[in-house]
Amino acid sequence: MLPAGCSRRLLAELRDALDACAERQRQLERSLRVSRRLLRVWEPAETPALEPTPGPDTNEEARPPARTPSPQELKELELLTQALEKAVRVRKGLSKAGGRDEAPSRKSRSIVSPATTASVPPRASGQAGRRASETKPPRGVRQTTVPAKGLPELRLLSVGDQTCKARGAQAAKPEPGLRDQEMAPSAAPQAPEAFTLKQKGILLRLPMAFRKAASQNSRLWAQLSSTETGDSMDATTTAKTQFLRKMQSGWPSSRLCAAEVEAEVGRLRKACSLLRQRMGEELTADPVDWMQEYHCLLTLEGLQAIAGQCLHRLQELRAAVMEHQLAPWPEGRLPSAPSSCGGGADSIWSPQLLLYSSTQELQTLASLRLRVAMLDEQIHLEKVLMAELLPLVSTQEPLGPPWLALCRAVHSLLCEGAFRLARRAGRDCRAGLAERGAGGSLRGTEALPAVQGGEGLRTRRGHPPGRGSACFVPLPNSSIFPAGLESPRGIIGAQ
Amino acid sequence: MWPQVGRRGPSREAQKAPALWRLLFHVLSPRPADDAAALPTPEAQARLVKSALRSQGYPRRALVQLPEDGSQGSRELLLALSWLLARGPLLERLLAQIRVRLGDEMPVCECEVLASPGPPAPRVEADGCVDIRHLQWLMGKLRFGWRNLITSQQEHCALLGKVHSYTRGCHSDRSLGHLSVTEAELLRDPEGGRQLLRRLESENARLEAALEWRRRELVFWQWMDTVLDACPPEASQPTFLPRIPERGAGELELVARELQALQEELQAVVETRRAAWEARVGGWGPGWKATQRASEEAVRQELTALQRAWERGGGLAQPHGPHRLVRSEAGTLGGPGLRATEVIKALRSREACLEAALRQLQGQCRQELARLVGALPGFIWILPPGC
Repeated sequence: MLPAGCSRRLLAELRDALDACAERQRQLERSLRVSRRLLRVWEPAETPALEPTPGPDTNEEARPPARTPSPQELKELELLTQALEKAVRVRKGLSKAGGRDEAPSRKSRSIVSPATTASVPPRASGQAGRRASETKPPRGVRQTTVPAKGLPELRLLSVGDQTCKARGAQAAKPEPGLRDQEMAPSAAPQAPEAFTLKQKGILLRLPMAFRKAASQNSRLWAQLSSTETGDSMDATTTAKTQFLRKMQSGWPSSRLCAAEVEAEVGRLRKACSLLRQRMGEELTADPVDWMQEYHCLLTLEGLQAIAGQCLHRLQELRAAVMEHQLAPWPEGRLPSAPSSCGGGADSIWSPQLLLYSSTQELQTLASLRLRVAMLDEQIHLEKVLMAELLPLVSTQEPLGPPWLALCRAVHSLLCEGAFRLARRAGRDCRAGLAERGAGGSLRGTEALPAVQGGEGLRTRRGHPPGRGSACFVPLPNSSIFPAGLESPRGIIGAQ
Repeated sequence: MWPQVGRRGPSREAQKAPALWRLLFHVLSPRPADDAAALPTPEAQARLVKSALRSQGYPRRALVQLPEDGSQGSRELLLALSWLLARGPLLERLLAQIRVRLGDEMPVCECEVLASPGPPAPRVEADGCVDIRHLQWLMGKLRFGWRNLITSQQEHCALLGKVHSYTRGCHSDRSLGHLSVTEAELLRDPEGGRQLLRRLESENARLEAALEWRRRELVFWQWMDTVLDACPPEASQPTFLPRIPERGAGELELVARELQALQEELQAVVETRRAAWEARVGGWGPGWKATQRASEEAVRQELTALQRAWERGGGLAQPHGPHRLVRSEAGTLGGPGLRATEVIKALRSREACLEAALRQLQGQCRQELARLVGALPGFIWILPPGC
């Protein structure tokens, strides 16, 4: 058993890490739910019904009764859909002189949405105004009313279709129909083909109000981010500096507030890792001539000097911190907002774009990002565990089984666990890494959390853990046993 | 909240103080509290505000002496607020935090995650001693959790890719080209779409108020000057003891140890190499001097550039913050924006660096353990294969 203080601290660290992981998982699950739902068939129940009568009554029970379309109608529907898709293609080729008409949004019936979009192209010149949009209320997302309008538009596409006229109670103004193509009478408004993003996604259009708001939003953000240099801005800046100076009330600022110290320590930590990275690069470089060799030498000497400077600065900070008392922090301090990344992008507040070209690229990017975060955390945990556990091993003198167990556990915690994702075949495999049991066989055991400490969990990318073959847990494979034991039978789980 | 600040005239009613405490609390806490249930009491809020301001170096002692029940002190709180406003782009930062996100965003660095630890789980502090096997189990659980996270993330990316490619050409903004999940969702679910639109519109109103504030700002500062002048002068130097949190002090020690180790390593390497070099070059003539100086200059420049990467305000080189994902087939990569390939390259090098660091730490542990165990007679230390 570990001593209480040590237990508390280590438990806190591990639980923090677990909480953070769980939080990330929760957020990811949320996004996954939304995305999955989007890619399925869009349920009609999730959208306002196709009511013939719009208005205050948004009661979805006003839907006309469902009617199973006959095979004839299905066929006609298919023809219609194909024709409409062709029309969409044609429209794409046309210029937008008439102004892109905004079909407010897709409807749950595939008929309706192609109808609203396809009705534009050949009439772009003359009949832009004929679109039902002007009869709609100008603001808000108007899906409730559009489906109803869609019905009469359906009529327009069908040549001489009497049945639809009888159904559509909402008589829009008598608009000259779109007679550009002979079309079969449309089927019932309850189209059998449900809407899926895959098939009809390109026909979607964002509602006008939304687009206006979004463009205004980006415009305002651009304005906010721009640093205007005018007389007024200068005057404001001087007024601010003057105010700050006055607030100091003439006393020299100690500059060593806690936030400053923390920020500086963070910078020095970053410096340390960058220096180390550079040192690694220089040490592995292979100079071909003496010039490069000299360059390398000078670089290393320079790195040493900088490391010394950083250390000196750190010692200054430490001295300053020691001067003031290190009282335990009262009741949960508000964590500091500035990021540890350097906060470089202060002036750019709206998100920039990240362009990717294929799903695989996106997946690589995402998994690398997670991997870096994971490594960061692993390194942090490693340091914490080292600091807590190694002293225990050295101070606990009794050589009985508990101590052996402790050593074994400490070894498995600290020295094993090169948790890696195996890359796909053909990609660069980091062969240089000491792969834990790289030649090891797959074990068909369940991916249990390692009860006895052998954390060599591996996975192949793309295979969910549910598939048993891809996951395995090597049993603890380090052991300490007293000399004199000849047979390996006594070793627990060694392989 | 913000338009009120502009409208607030030089009135100093007592009931302003509680509102100002609340305002300061929300400004200083990194994440806006989503659920009101988690908000601490007003007194606790006041205490947190005081400690946060002190940790940022607020120079006036009068704040510390304010009563926490909100009965007085509105002027001092107003000064505190102005101090925060003057020091940095507070308004913009807050607005950016609560921004309506219309695109599918992916952060390219990890700093945001570090800054927002999420809701702290209620910690049961009455834990006694634990067995180390419990720690091992937790560690395994963590690794399992990470692996799940990665597979979920892969699936999410695949779905995003699909949504993006299925909605090619739909967006009114040509530079984006396709809908994001949020936008497609708004089309699928009109009620949600209406809510999104409302949020967007209220954000626009906020942005306009912020721009309006900018136009009138000078008047505010002139007024604050008078407020400050009207305050009684601070009698003596504020005896603030910057409270460095326990965690911070530990961090300092860790970094100090690392830098120390790094310096020693460098020293060892440099000594041997310099000696070898001197031995070789000792007999070379003066013509060598010019090239020597050239090399020195080149190295100096390189190292200065390196130093800039961690100095104050030098972080612009790294991609930072959330980016909106835009799928564009390889042909049309003309516009502004970060390329995924570049980010991947940067991440890979960082990954390599971190892996090396982890291996080094693990090797260190191994050595240490071997030393501790090996010192004892009668024991054989068997390492697993591959170690």
